[in-house]
Formats: sequence, C-alpha cells, structure tokens
Amino acid sequence: MSTYKLYYFNSRGRAEVSRLIFAAAGQKYEDIRYNQDEWPSHKTEMPLGQMPVLEFNSAKLPQSKSIARFLAKQFHLAGRDNLEQAKVDAVIDTIDDLIPKLISIFFEQDETKKEDLRKKYFDEELPKHFQNLDVLLKEFGNGGLFFVGNHLTWADLYFYDLSETLLGMNGNCLDIYPRLKQNREEVEKQPKIAEYLNNRPKTPF
Amino acid sequence: MSDSDIKFYYFNLQARGELTRLIFAAAGRSYEDIRFGFDTWPEYKPKMILGQCPVLEFADGTQIPQSLTVARYVAREAGLAGSDNLESAKIDAVVDTQRDVNEVFYGKVFFEKDEAKKAEEMEKFLTETLVKHVENLGKLKKAYSTNESYFVGNKLSWADLFVFQSIQILLKAVPQVQGKFGDQFKPLFDAINGNDKIKAYLDARPETDF
Repeated sequence: MSTYKLYYFNSRGRAEVSRLIFAAAGQKYEDIRYNQDEWPSHKTEMPLGQMPVLEFNSAKLPQSKSIARFLAKQFHLAGRDNLEQAKVDAVIDTIDDLIPKLISIFFEQDETKKEDLRKKYFDEELPKHFQNLDVLLKEFGNGGLFFVGNHLTWADLYFYDLSETLLGMNGNCLDIYPRLKQNREEVEKQPKIAEYLNNRPKTPF
Repeated sequence: MSDSDIKFYYFNLQARGELTRLIFAAAGRSYEDIRFGFDTWPEYKPKMILGQCPVLEFADGTQIPQSLTVARYVAREAGLAGSDNLESAKIDAVVDTQRDVNEVFYGKVFFEKDEAKKAEEMEKFLTETLVKHVENLGKLKKAYSTNESYFVGNKLSWADLFVFQSIQILLKAVPQVQGKFGDQFKPLFDAINGNDKIKAYLDARPETDF
C-alpha cells in the first residue's frame, strides 16, 4: 500500500491545494507541519531545501504545483484524458498569473505605498485575471459550475484556496463574477471537502 | 493528435514558444507553426482565448493557452512526459525549478531598464542565483536520473528540452555564463544536439531576436 507524507509549515500557503486534494479523495496521509524553529534542522532533508515536499513511498517531490498535479492524477482529480488535463493545467496557470502582483503588496513595508498597491491590485489587476478565469470556465466547463468538464478537478480546489485569501483581503472582490462565486459554493458543498474545511487548523494564510 | 490539424500561434521569437516547437520536433510531429510580429499581433489577439499567446489550437477550434501547459500537453501526446505518474511528476519538478530561475532572470535582469540596477542584479544572478540553480539541477538529476544524460529515468523528456532551451538563451544573452556549468550538462547537450530530429529543426529554424 502506498504511503504519502506532506511536509510544510503550519499554514495553508503552497500546500493547502494538496491537502484539499487528499481530502476530496478521502486519502489518508501524514500532514507534517514544521514551525519556524524546527524548520532549519529539516532543510537539508528536502530535495531543494524548500517546502512543500511530498514523500510518496520513498520518493521525494519538491515544487507545490508538481506535487498537486501528481496527487490529482493519482486520485482522478486531474481531468479524464490528456486534453482535459491540459484544460485543467491552463486554469491552474491562469490562477497563478494573479500571484506576482499580490506578493508585491505583502513585501511593501511602507504603509501608504502598501495601501496604494492593494487598491490598484483589486481595482485594476485582479479583474483582468478573474475575467480570464470566467472565460475559461465558460469555454471548458461544459455548461456546468466546475472549471473543466462538469466535474470536480484540482483546478476548482486551487481556485478555492487562492480566492479564500483574496476574499480575506477584500470581501467583495468576487461580487461581479457570479460564476466564480458559484464555483466556490460548489466546492464547499462536496461532503468530504466540507468536513475537511470544518476540521482543518485555522491559520491566517 | 493528428498531424497538421494542430496549430501553434506565437511570435516569431523563441521566448515562451520555442520549448513547444522543440517538443514537436523531437516527436517528429508536424503542425502549423504560425508566427507573427508585434505589428501583426493585433490581428491575432482577439482570436486567442485569453488574448495572449502562445496558444495551441485544434481542428475543432478548441484552444489551450499558457506556454508550459501547451508544452506539457504536446510532450504527453509524444511520450516525452514520463512513463508513469511519478516520472511525470519528477519531470514537472525539474521544469518548475528551471522556470523559477527563468522568471528571476527575465524579471530582474534581462528586462531591467536602469543600467546600474541591471548590472547589480546581473552580478547577483551570476554569483548567487545561477550557482544555486545549477546545484539544484544537479541534486534533482542525482535523485531522478538512471543514466548519464537525461534528468529523469533513462530517456529524453521535455524537462531536458526545457533546461537545454533555457540555458541556450542564457548563454546567448550572457556569454560569461559558459564557465559556470562545468561538465555537468555536457552529456545532456551532446545527446540533444546529436538527436537527428532536433538537430534538423535547430539547423532550419529562423534566426530571431530572442
């Protein structure tokens, strides 16, 4: 029987999509969370000195998206054939496009500049990406509420996790994107995911 | 995937399109290699699913955007993406690692307009980022490879083509990078340059700015 261990910090960050995949699949795994003090002593155990890392049997995989894609494929949450998988990957990459400018906000130390960046991000930057995601959902969703093929894939889980962070910063940001809002609701309704969301550790990000 | 029913839309540049062209070449698959300039791009933009390129388009009009997603799809169809899920994941991890460094190079060095800042970032890139990256690639190869040349398992994958392509571009932009690699990647580069189908493509492809 295969064993799965996921190594990360005690936060959602770049590991949560994988935890959501495990939850959706009902797959047991070791959810290892290192705090900031413990991490330095484990750094050299990780292939690239970073986390998350997935240990699958004895193989170690770095890189959060590669890990998530591997797990999604293991548990049939990656798309039903090569073309569907490409559609899912395209949604994932398009979600990722909204990250660089988001990160700039967090790195800005000056409070006034930070607020400016935040406003600019939500007013100008984010809408472009939400519009793109809306287009992909319409094109790939086969008329349903999930991003691809009218069934749950890790694209929906990835969007769910990142949009949670965005909604935490601006609770109205999805208001003019009803399809994207409904997509989130559809994810939350899945019984195994609802149970996981209720029981998971609550962390700020 | 039937031959010329597939179209690949990108600028007449290497940049974010060349990896897919290399994969098509290595696979011996024909396709329509549609290239445009910055001046003619406005005619194509409204026809692209997200108004961006590269885009892969099928005979029925279905379009797939996002450069690495397109590359992965073409690689999978061609048997260049690993023989099982774990191998595919190892390949993805090498790709992601190379991509991380490419983004640093393009974001902080190549496109930096301020000359003083550019020089500073270039120095940092050469002495820190790139050195760490070559170490990281070496670690992944040690963990995943079962032969001398290729990153994962014992055959060519799109991760090999991505590293090859990325390093080529880097060497062209920053010739002093040559000495940083030692002999680590020579077997890989020799294998790729010696691959008949790839060589034929490399010999015939148009000269482009980058």
